[in-house]
Amino acid sequence: MAKLFERRVTPADSLLDVAATTTLAFLLALLITSFLFISDGNNPLQAYFALFHEPFATLRGFGNALVRASPLALIGLGTIVSWRSGLAYLGFEGCFVIGAAAASWLALLTSPGQALGPLPFFVFLPLVILFSFAAGGAWAGAVGVIRARLGGNEVLISLMSNYVGIFFLQYLVSGPLRAPGSLPETVQLPQRTWLPFILPGTRAHAGVLLALLAAAIVWVLLKKMPLGYELIVTGFNPSAARYAGIDVVGKLTLAAFFAGGLGALAGMVEVLGSQHRLMDGISGGVGFVGIIVALLARLNPIAVIPTALLYGGMSVGADAMQRRANIPSSITFILQSLAVLLVLTTDVLRYYRFRPSALWGDKPLTAGEGTNR
Amino acid sequence: MKRSLEMRDVVKRFPGVVANDHANLTVEAGEIHALLGENGAGKSTLMQILYGFHRMDSGEILIDGSPVTLTSSKEAIALGIGMVHQEFMLVPPFTVLENAILGLREPGHPLLDLGKASQRFKALSDRHQLALDPNAEVQSLPIGVQQRVEIVKALYRDASLLILDEPTAVLTSQEKDQLFSVLRGLQAEGRSSILVTHKLNEIMEIADRVTVMRDGKVIATRAIRATSKQELTRLTVGRDVNLRTNKPPLERGKPLLQISDVRVCDDSGNEKVRGITLEVHAGEILGIAGVDGNGQSHLAEAIMRLRAIKSGRLVLAGVDLTSASLTRYRSAGLAYIPADRRNVGSVTKMSVADNAILGSQRKYARGIFRDIRRERASAAALVKRFDVRGSDIDLPAGKLSGGNLQKLILGREIMRGSNVLVVEQPTRGLDIGAIEAVWHELLRERQEGKAILLISADLEELLNLADRIAVVFEGRIMGIVNATEASVEEIGSMMAGIPVERDWVAPRLSIEEKANGEAF
Repeated sequence: MAKLFERRVTPADSLLDVAATTTLAFLLALLITSFLFISDGNNPLQAYFALFHEPFATLRGFGNALVRASPLALIGLGTIVSWRSGLAYLGFEGCFVIGAAAASWLALLTSPGQALGPLPFFVFLPLVILFSFAAGGAWAGAVGVIRARLGGNEVLISLMSNYVGIFFLQYLVSGPLRAPGSLPETVQLPQRTWLPFILPGTRAHAGVLLALLAAAIVWVLLKKMPLGYELIVTGFNPSAARYAGIDVVGKLTLAAFFAGGLGALAGMVEVLGSQHRLMDGISGGVGFVGIIVALLARLNPIAVIPTALLYGGMSVGADAMQRRANIPSSITFILQSLAVLLVLTTDVLRYYRFRPSALWGDKPLTAGEGTNR
Repeated sequence: MKRSLEMRDVVKRFPGVVANDHANLTVEAGEIHALLGENGAGKSTLMQILYGFHRMDSGEILIDGSPVTLTSSKEAIALGIGMVHQEFMLVPPFTVLENAILGLREPGHPLLDLGKASQRFKALSDRHQLALDPNAEVQSLPIGVQQRVEIVKALYRDASLLILDEPTAVLTSQEKDQLFSVLRGLQAEGRSSILVTHKLNEIMEIADRVTVMRDGKVIATRAIRATSKQELTRLTVGRDVNLRTNKPPLERGKPLLQISDVRVCDDSGNEKVRGITLEVHAGEILGIAGVDGNGQSHLAEAIMRLRAIKSGRLVLAGVDLTSASLTRYRSAGLAYIPADRRNVGSVTKMSVADNAILGSQRKYARGIFRDIRRERASAAALVKRFDVRGSDIDLPAGKLSGGNLQKLILGREIMRGSNVLVVEQPTRGLDIGAIEAVWHELLRERQEGKAILLISADLEELLNLADRIAVVFEGRIMGIVNATEASVEEIGSMMAGIPVERDWVAPRLSIEEKANGEAF
């Protein structure tokens, strides 16, 4: 008896298979979400046109998509480093605001009359990258230390640390760094400290390049360096890691440090490239969407780039959709989350072989090689 | 009561393999029937079909001559089939009695009547001389007793056909004798047993008939009286195998690994190694015999620095490394083959090539980058030299069979070039072909002048490979004997904690101590 789906011993894991199931999952998510549009009396095709047209078919929109994508990519990369090392770190909202605050503080210090005076940009840039990275790294590294040394639960601690970070930001922008005026925000950062714009006619800034560079570095780390090998062994199997002489505590702490640093760079990119000031609510959930991006990219540092662009573009499109078709932009978040759920569930498809021949009753290729489950 | 079993033309396919290929098996009432075969020969699948875990694709099962269908273990139990799994299916914090009645329900009685159950339990336990205390917590019992709990569990369900999967793998020889006398008692009542095993000695000792399987097929069924170990080996492997090793005489060199009065605790702070003193010389295999859980693993982990040494000293090639840093310690040259191949010795989700460099990842690197070409070349060389079969070096190591995975780990550790090898249960669960290969490699390392500490629960292995055998019991050494002069009975009683009074044991120990005294 031939069956339509035959179980495989090993999952089909060629690039094509993975891409096919991911695409299928995404299309399925689009299909399910269209019911939400229909129930609201909208035409899903028009809604999707509104969602995807602006970010991917207009130059200005594409620039905005790039702007939204770069922090997502950086946070996705942080997720990859920590999760592949076996640390389920979820505190990227916190890292993001810490990085944003650190960068803003340093930028404000270079205002005329302040401690660092007018610092040239080529000195300021490496300084601010190192400073933000170190601040976020220390922030997340603390969670790594608690987990690795004391055996605390990193999921809970990192999740809760987000609130500490967010309230710390509120304190900063309503206290020591507050600009005169009614809003809880700093003054605009000195223009000298802004990241340069890279695409004429758009708001795309050099943060995009930083994200690309970070993706390349994370790829090299995980694929080409013994350190990355040790991180991955630690993630798969801590006992085997210890057996191989790998310092598991040190590796987990290091992974948390890298992850926090990358998350902080996302915050830095956001303030120096796009907002140009520090304000309450600056993170707005990117710390979580970034994790989703990493999952959708199956924790692959190269695949994070297009995935981040897709999700960044969708959030740009969501605004356009709300403006033009008056459809609530939160539907986009439902779509984004559904896509991840479906990607995770369609993974099971890779364990089956599709036999359309069973539909029209043909014999399977090798007689008697039918399925038994 | 008396049940006979016949399995006819059983076929079972899994994706990509035929696990049972027209297998036939008959077990008479009151017979002890051994089922022999290498790993992957299809024994377990056949038994799981009989116990209702798997459904066969074709074939039939007859009990007392009438065909039955088995789709779940519940039906198998109702037909009087009981199974003692290799990994016990017991609830550790429950008492023996609670485990015995687990899942049973008396029709019409919504409440549990432990008193009544206890009476029936006692009657069963006494009749079969199982000596079980119904109120003891299972987790506090030794493995051998836990196994008897499994047996009584089956008897409580009135099993007339008992399937035992590798029952002696974890037992001392005394416990094994006890098990066999229980099985003979069951036989006297007309109950039959199927013994799944690959230990020929035990088959010759207890079974009435033996069925040999190879590659999913039943090769032969023989009466024990009409066969020999040689014939059975040939049938199992398909060729002649010489498991007797021709070990060249010992050329004992300088002591390379010396441990003195080492004490080690487990994670909850109980002392598991209580003052062990040993010396392993170049060109020597020192065996450590003992039932699992008597401190051997903790000792090995302490030697490998995976566990802290509470007190005592550790000297490697004359250098005291008791308090050396981990990095310094690792570079001093020790290789370790852990007992748990899949969870400690390898990362099953990573490729064979990645596993081949585990522990040497920094050695293969050029600066801060991996030299992947060199890694792969060395992995390919390892796979070739140690005959690791069945996988491409890019496939996950978890896809390898136990024997091939062990060859990979063994090869990796040997190619590390260390002078001292700590080897734990190197052939547990492997089939004869793989055992032969592992033994061969270990003896070759001995010839090369390596010092090998071999921890094994398999006495045959120790007697074949080791030059001296130290027997541990509850974290102490009961005695050290020369392998050539030792007997299985002697080692067996020391494993059970009974000291053996023999003249030469005492002076030998004092020589050891003297040698240690000079070295330290």
